[in-house]
Amino acid sequence: MASIRDIRKHIGSVKSIKQITYAMKMVAAARIKRAQFGILSARPFSDKMDALVGDLYSEMGEEDFKASPAYKLFEEKTMAGAVCLVLVTADKGLCGSFNTNLLKAALAWLKEYRGKKIYVIAVGRKGRDFLKRLKGLDLELHFEMVNIFPRADYAKAEILGGKVIELFLGGNIERVTLIYNEFKSMLTQRIVTGDLLPLQKRVLSSGIEVKRGDFNFEPSKAGLLEALLPRQLKAQLYRVLLESQAAELAARMNAMESASKNAAELIEGLTLKMNKTRQAMITTELNEIVGGAEALGG
Amino acid sequence: MKSKLSLSIITPEKAVFADKEVSFVCLPAFEGELGVLPGHISTVVQLKEGLLHYKSGREHGEFSVMSGFAEINKNHVLVLAEAAELAKEIDEERARQAYRKAKDALNVKGDAIELDSALSALKRAAVRLKIAEYRRKKGVRS
Repeated sequence: MASIRDIRKHIGSVKSIKQITYAMKMVAAARIKRAQFGILSARPFSDKMDALVGDLYSEMGEEDFKASPAYKLFEEKTMAGAVCLVLVTADKGLCGSFNTNLLKAALAWLKEYRGKKIYVIAVGRKGRDFLKRLKGLDLELHFEMVNIFPRADYAKAEILGGKVIELFLGGNIERVTLIYNEFKSMLTQRIVTGDLLPLQKRVLSSGIEVKRGDFNFEPSKAGLLEALLPRQLKAQLYRVLLESQAAELAARMNAMESASKNAAELIEGLTLKMNKTRQAMITTELNEIVGGAEALGG
Repeated sequence: MKSKLSLSIITPEKAVFADKEVSFVCLPAFEGELGVLPGHISTVVQLKEGLLHYKSGREHGEFSVMSGFAEINKNHVLVLAEAAELAKEIDEERARQAYRKAKDALNVKGDAIELDSALSALKRAAVRLKIAEYRRKKGVRS
């Protein structure tokens, strides 16, 4: 049976753990407000961007479009030998199943493309470390971006987008897939696996209402589209970074809340045990004293 | 009929202006400045970093805009810029410091991310300085 001293020590350490988890929860809760606000304020930009691309596309004839350099981003290269994965994870742990689930999804994806050459762009330390540990795959870490959370801004998305486009245009790459956590609500995150490039399906399916506005274009339509598409991609990546950031904070908040709760329960149990032990000790001592007095007094 | 333009400036980080009524906008278009008055033909232009200014009655304002696009459609001017800030809010001294810091960062060899972000910081600072200078020349007081 543990002595009172041992139990006291144990209670002390659990208490300090609780303090830490509680503090982490509060920090996450404070940051999540800002992260959510960020998502909301990024929305109009990406919506308008999509609308602008849609307008431009509907203004351009199919022929013009095929001839423009921007077409490269749309072209489907089914016979290409390589694929690319953009994996967005967190930098730090202690956020429940946030990273584990992501890595599981990534692993499933990697298994599917086992035979091919795979380029990986890792955002977040956890994902990078995981990918570095993997063996037996034809894997190349093309670019990594760590320590950007919780201060992801547009400049980061721009760099990331630049790298993705550079890789897609430069290499013989069939598709670029994105795996990240979507911020659904404070309690749930959803893992999204989606194709980033080529653009074809997404842009066309985004429901283009043909506005016959007779637009003037400066510079030419093709030039505009070429400049616009990378930006649209970056805006999309920016949204993804923000979503992942908010999702991470939400996951951490929940994980830390349940950790604090568990610690509180543990402390309660330990205190009970300590009191019982103390009571037992006092009773034994009393018994001894009484027994001794009886033996002396006769 | 006295029609007005409605001006929206949107950046990825926030909506700077939403449907503000103005009578004249001047955009830093790719091939030179583009003045827009009510009734302008529908246009899509690419912007470069530079100064955007608008007038609304007696009120007027300047913005620094970092490369983006503008769509003019039926008296709606929509500016999608990568960054935009009120010229009034630009601190010349701070911009100059940022410019110097970015230059230094470029000289020291760092990893790719640091270099890229230093480069974009340099560009931003340069535009800010340009705008601060423009304001001084025009004698605009905030």
